Amino acid sequence: MKILVVEDDKTVGEYVRRGLDEAGYHVDLVGDGDEGLRRASGRGAGYDMMVLDLRLPKLSGIDVLRTLRDRGVGVPVLVLTAQDSVDFKVQALRMGADDYVTKPFAFEELLARVEALGRRPKAIAPPTLKVNGLVLDTGSREVTRDGKRIELTPKEYAVLEYLMRHQGRVMSRTLITEYAWDYHFDPGTNIVDVVITRLRKKIDHAKEPKLIHTVRGVGYVVRA
Amino acid sequence: MESIRGRLTIWYATALILSIAVFAVVLYFARRSATYQDLDRRIQSEADLTAGILVESYRARGALVEKDTAGRPVLTSEVAAVLEVVPDYLLVTSRDGRLLFGSPDARSLGFAQFEQLNALVRGGATSTPGRYRLTPNGPTLHYVIRPAGEAGGQIGAVFAGADTRSAELQIEQLLLTIVIAFFVGVVPAILVGGWIAGRALEPVDRIITEVREITDGRSLHRRLVVPLERDELSRLAETLNQMMTRLERSFAALRRFTADASHELKTPLTVVRAGVERAITRPETPQETLAPLEETLQEVNRMTELLDSLLTLARADEGRAELHREPVDLRDIIAEAGETGELLAEQAGVGIEIRMPPEPVVVSVDRSRMRQLALNLIENAVKYTPRGGQVSVELAGSDGRAVFSVADTGIGIAPGDLPHVFDRFWRADSARTRTSERAGTGLGLAISKWIAEAHGGTIDVQSRPGRGTTFTVGLPRV
Repeated sequence: MKILVVEDDKTVGEYVRRGLDEAGYHVDLVGDGDEGLRRASGRGAGYDMMVLDLRLPKLSGIDVLRTLRDRGVGVPVLVLTAQDSVDFKVQALRMGADDYVTKPFAFEELLARVEALGRRPKAIAPPTLKVNGLVLDTGSREVTRDGKRIELTPKEYAVLEYLMRHQGRVMSRTLITEYAWDYHFDPGTNIVDVVITRLRKKIDHAKEPKLIHTVRGVGYVVRA
Repeated sequence: MESIRGRLTIWYATALILSIAVFAVVLYFARRSATYQDLDRRIQSEADLTAGILVESYRARGALVEKDTAGRPVLTSEVAAVLEVVPDYLLVTSRDGRLLFGSPDARSLGFAQFEQLNALVRGGATSTPGRYRLTPNGPTLHYVIRPAGEAGGQIGAVFAGADTRSAELQIEQLLLTIVIAFFVGVVPAILVGGWIAGRALEPVDRIITEVREITDGRSLHRRLVVPLERDELSRLAETLNQMMTRLERSFAALRRFTADASHELKTPLTVVRAGVERAITRPETPQETLAPLEETLQEVNRMTELLDSLLTLARADEGRAELHREPVDLRDIIAEAGETGELLAEQAGVGIEIRMPPEPVVVSVDRSRMRQLALNLIENAVKYTPRGGQVSVELAGSDGRAVFSVADTGIGIAPGDLPHVFDRFWRADSARTRTSERAGTGLGLAISKWIAEAHGGTIDVQSRPGRGTTFTVGLPRV
């Protein structure tokens, strides 16, 4: 699946490119509106999706979008914007954008939107996550360990899913909080610690091996 | 009275009524005194005329008195015949006070009343006209008594009196006319006065309506119509227009700033965030660098939240409050926020109780804003409640309203601080919060208030220091 990323800021562009690359997408990155428009509407470009920043040099994102739609290019477009007002988003959607992500965004959020737009979530997010005997079914939201069912509250489930999706990698408290609380929720306290304590009781209590590990000062990791 | 129009009408009416009343009183008393003077002149001239006739008759014939058939002295029939034609009450007496003549009016009086007249005459001459009421039920008289010694000593006094009835009737007539004229004149005058005041002030009303329509925040490009006549109102309209031009400019500047701030501040935040997030999720990043990266990420998020809050409030000030409304069962939102509340409460060692009705409480709201509101209030309650305290979250749906309240047994808010809790950047004395925690942005309650009010709802706070605080949100139901 080919994605064209149009973003003038190199750091952000590179971050999006690499992230999507790691998630298994083929990504091309361009830095201005002219180039973006040329590549997207060029013959045989064959992009399946476009990630478009709205504030671009040479040709603004809105103009790129309008021109593309005028030319009858129907590629799904995910807009990146710093404007989070409703009317602005409505304007972008009217111009033919399919979805938007507000800056600054967590990569996880961008990925989720890209997956939803690409209509192929299965390949990237396998329906069943497994670590040792711990199994999480993302479809039915069922969690079992060694075949025994474990009841989780919505937040416990969200935290566990996030950690299992990135098993073997240390996920920081802030990243976990963002994922489980879907907006910039800053409780000023480490609420994640409470959820982890509960999860440990339900998952690791009197079981070996322990699956949830603490990384001091940073966050948590799930691994066997 | 709440309008200038009403006040003007009242002042005008008062002035009108007062001046008419003064005029009426003066007129009434002047007429009254003139009427009685006429009456007095009439009886005086009757008395003079009678005395004149008697003197003339005495000079022509000498004898004025004869004896009637009963042997009583009376005026001679020739003299009496002349005096018969004098109207009103006329009496002529002899020097020793005996009655010589009574006019037909006097003779028609009853005995008792006639005797009273006789008594008056015997009382002697008067220098000014007197007033006497004959009893019982007799007429009230004005009278004069005139000595008539020139008539050869045969006549004592002449009494002339007139009934005041006709004079009184005239005065009553005048009074009635005044009263009728008053109502016929004053009531329409007040109505017309009110109408004129209303007409004169009508342009002001129009300006008020127009200004109200313009200043709702979305129509600042509009201007008032300036009346053609160069008067106070046209100057007022011009001044208001100038003010609105300046307002429009500053709003435009604010809007530009808001948009620019979004880009100029959020873009670097995105860059920082992107770098940090990449580093933090890369497996090869050494563990000892993870902690500072995590702190950086947290700080980026705080800045983002602060920025979002500021932009939200800036837009709200401008009247561009944007809500994406849809029917939502508030129980879902409270349940979700409640779970977070339970997690926070558990960590803080605070008990939490969530009560919700069994039936759905559907309201038309912006889901994410409502979630933010619920979370704000619950988070605050837990934050300001000491270990061992209790937080109660309750949702109730009555007929036209959904009521959501968060009560705690926390430190409470000082009465002097209560009016300020919804102010921006207001924060309770920092010593009161648990010191291990960082304070929030200070915008949480300001945002909460905006959210509640933008939905057409209300937010209230009740608090007693040391006993606890209750925030109550009321929302209109669909």
